[in-house]
Amino acid sequence: MADGDDVRDDLVRAEARAYWRKEVRARLAALRLSPTREAEIVDELSQHLEDRYRELVASGASTEDATRMALGEFRSSNALAQAMSPLRQAHAPSPYTPGVSTGHLLSDLWQDLRYATRTFWKQPAFAFATVLTLALGIGATAAIFSVVYGVLLKPLPFHEPERLVSVRQYAPHGAGTNQGPATYFTYRENQRAFEAIGAWDPAEVAITGGGGDPERVQALSVSADTLSLLRVQPAVGRVFSAEDDMPGNPPRVILTHGYWQRRFGGAENVVGQSLVIDGEPVEVIGVLPSSFKFLRTRPEIVLPMPLDPNAPRGISFGFQALARLKPGITLPQANADVARMIPILPPVFARLELRPNVSPLADDVIGNVGEILWILLAAVGVVLLIACGNVANLFLVRAEGRHQEFAMRAALGASRGRIARGLLAESVVLALAGGAVGVALAQAATVLLRTIAPTELPRVDDISIDMTVLLFTMSVSVLSGVVFGLVAVLRFGSPSITALKEGGRSASDAPGRHRTRNALVVGQVALALTLLIVSGLMIRTFVAMRRVDPGFTRPEEVQTFVLAIPPGLISDEQEAARTHERVAERLAQVPGITSVGLSSSITMDGEDNGNPLEVEGATLPEGQMTPLRRFKSFAPGYFETMGNRLVAGRSVTWREIHEQRPVIVISETLAREYWKEPSRAIGKRVRAMQQGASWREIVGVVGDERDDGLNQPATAIVYWPMLNEHYRWRTMAYAVRSARAGTPGFLRELEQAVWSVDRNLPLASVQTLEEIQARSMAQTSFALVMLGIAASVALLIGVVGIYGVIAYAAAQRTREIGVRMALGAQTGDVRKMFLRHGLSLTGTGIVLGIGVAIVVTRVMSAFLFGVGPMDPMTYGVVSGALAAVALLATYLPARRASRVDPIVALRADV
Amino acid sequence: MSGIDTRALDRELKRGSAELLILSLLDARPRHGYELSKLIHVRSGGQLTFHIDSLYPLLYRLEERGWIKGTWVEKPDERRRRFYKVTTEGRRVLAQQRRTWAAFVEAVRLVTGDERG
Repeated sequence: MADGDDVRDDLVRAEARAYWRKEVRARLAALRLSPTREAEIVDELSQHLEDRYRELVASGASTEDATRMALGEFRSSNALAQAMSPLRQAHAPSPYTPGVSTGHLLSDLWQDLRYATRTFWKQPAFAFATVLTLALGIGATAAIFSVVYGVLLKPLPFHEPERLVSVRQYAPHGAGTNQGPATYFTYRENQRAFEAIGAWDPAEVAITGGGGDPERVQALSVSADTLSLLRVQPAVGRVFSAEDDMPGNPPRVILTHGYWQRRFGGAENVVGQSLVIDGEPVEVIGVLPSSFKFLRTRPEIVLPMPLDPNAPRGISFGFQALARLKPGITLPQANADVARMIPILPPVFARLELRPNVSPLADDVIGNVGEILWILLAAVGVVLLIACGNVANLFLVRAEGRHQEFAMRAALGASRGRIARGLLAESVVLALAGGAVGVALAQAATVLLRTIAPTELPRVDDISIDMTVLLFTMSVSVLSGVVFGLVAVLRFGSPSITALKEGGRSASDAPGRHRTRNALVVGQVALALTLLIVSGLMIRTFVAMRRVDPGFTRPEEVQTFVLAIPPGLISDEQEAARTHERVAERLAQVPGITSVGLSSSITMDGEDNGNPLEVEGATLPEGQMTPLRRFKSFAPGYFETMGNRLVAGRSVTWREIHEQRPVIVISETLAREYWKEPSRAIGKRVRAMQQGASWREIVGVVGDERDDGLNQPATAIVYWPMLNEHYRWRTMAYAVRSARAGTPGFLRELEQAVWSVDRNLPLASVQTLEEIQARSMAQTSFALVMLGIAASVALLIGVVGIYGVIAYAAAQRTREIGVRMALGAQTGDVRKMFLRHGLSLTGTGIVLGIGVAIVVTRVMSAFLFGVGPMDPMTYGVVSGALAAVALLATYLPARRASRVDPIVALRADV
Repeated sequence: MSGIDTRALDRELKRGSAELLILSLLDARPRHGYELSKLIHVRSGGQLTFHIDSLYPLLYRLEERGWIKGTWVEKPDERRRRFYKVTTEGRRVLAQQRRTWAAFVEAVRLVTGDERG
């Protein structure tokens, strides 16, 4: 009986406790207590209520009254929550349970990111390996992108740069043509598509006076419209006005900011001061802002370009023109407008059959460097892909170790999307960390790039890690994270219950698991091979270029410099020529000099002109345009000094020059074009296609100069003796051959020799022929170095990938190896097993890579020289080298696997 | 007691003295929440009452400040209870509050003192 009462009492008490707890819990619901804390408070307060209730019952109250009065301890239903809400414990952070959604997407994402960061903090080795690999790939991509953006994509620093165009013509069979007075004035007077057209031309002038050595500076000649259509505002003073365009007006000059600082110390009163330019005093009227940059020139001063609209308009293309499109006018419309105006040109232009070539001004700046930069960007993109492949593999391995955890979460209710999001959050965290380190690497790389970049690379100053590059890097990082995270998601995002059942072991032996990793490695090998083949072809190109006969020999012995005799100094042409002769004679007397020569342009110095030439007796086939030839004017000694051989005939003499005899020399290519054999050209006659031109007799044929670059066909050149009537040049480039070329003392002796003839002749553009040649190869060398680096990094990462996969497979199959060896397999057999695996992966990758390379090299065949895009030797050597390296990467883990002690291997499993 | 509006007294005095009351009661020896509420009610002759939803928040506040410390105590055949005791810091605060309260009371007495006395 007593027992029954006890049981009943216990039941009643238990019921009562549950009741009090429920009441307390209800009043705590509004707070964010941690579950533990809430349980404690519920315990404590329900105990208090129970005590009160018992006291009331003991004092005679009925159960209903006692209950009511106990509950009367609460003043109201929310008083408890209100009183507790100021306390810290009422706002406990909710614990993160992976796989449990908080209900808000952003909040879930934030939780995932924090969880991922905490996880990687505890696995530093894994995090380090992945972040480093990613940093290499992302950093390289960011660095090259900064170059691509700074050089190609950033808009020009002018107002509305997309409306600026350069105005040229195409002359088929010759160089594209620039502008001359005829075309320039015709367009200006008749055009409808442009707000304004401006002329410009780079120049070099001598500035003297003020004591000290005469100075040769780079200058820019512009018509008045040029600066105004670019919307350039002067920092001081004014820019040119229409009257400065009129020939015969007093000459004026605008200084660039740098020159103003250098020469005038930034003096405020510079306007009105004067400079002696080419022997004439010129008034300074303004200073340009420090931000002024004009395309690819670096002028110190800006001069007007007075052109006489009433001068005869013959064929001549000597300067450049740019224009601003009217609002709403498109490029095709502008070209159509110029096409409309071409027939308005003087009749003599008809035979040139010009076509319009209005193109964006930005193209002038960028030149032909765009293609190579995009190729480089693609190359580092490939490196990044390979890096992602490695990281994806690492990630897969790690995810495999957690497949039980995923199965558990799925069983607890986490959706596939939730698990996927968790994995992707982890991969993106890694990728962003890799991107951050990559930015630091890219910063260093950018500094290095600016130093080694060829001087022809335009806008080098615009290369930097700015906001655009940072945004690009971040996007690339996130994208990479998603890409390699997806691999793990696709593999493990749908965990099955069987993973839980099998306790984690046997699931790891499933062959499907290997397939993804193997596929990744094959992909990496293929990509690395492609990059290596591209690099190999570029190396062959470089070597082939170096073997080309440039038209000179032993360039390290040839010192060149430019000497100009401006009309302001010596107005008479004959006297100027004689001065050049005297200078050449004095130079020949300098100790160590074996030969002196002069020409209007040294091979590969960038001079780029094209003029029509008429050949006696040769008629143009129907429909063919008049080809344009390179004109140079020269004096005796030039070919000998350059080391360019005379193929037939002879050169000219100073006497023939002074007497202005009608003789001429042409290059071998030109001779063969008309007469097959160079010797047959001797005695034939040619003349310029100009009004009143007289015939000249060919007295010599000289070897080809590769004026346009080693990887271009030889230029057809016509050599006019100085003092001819059609191609006069007062600025001559001197070539001086001596073993002492390039040494500083030698240079001073040259200067002294020149000044002993005339004190006012400054030497300019002093460089050895070797430097000129190196510059012409600069773009190819640059591309080669960059591609080589990319390919090496790709190879390294790819090989590490192969090693990793084989090593991991070996580790996973330890038990199997143990079984095999216990059953009699030799170490050699085990090694062969893994070698076969590794080699089959490599072999598949190589075959795939060759296929990709064949497609890719087609695209870049324009950059190849002397080697075809499918050159079997390159393909063979590179594939062999890659296979050898991969073999090594496979052999090491294979050897280690074969050294496993079967007993240890079998025991480890127990 | 005649005519004292104990509810108003509760509110006003509680605000100023609640912590002092709790600390001084716990200073004598550790007690649990129900015991504290009964003690206050009995010793004040029913003038002061702490409801459950003001007593415990006060105890938790004092605990968060580190002036008292609660410990679960489990005795055989009994539910576990939370006993509170005053800490060293709590003792220091109690002494300070006692001094402040005594000074306040003295000041009030001085101002309202029987002038006839």
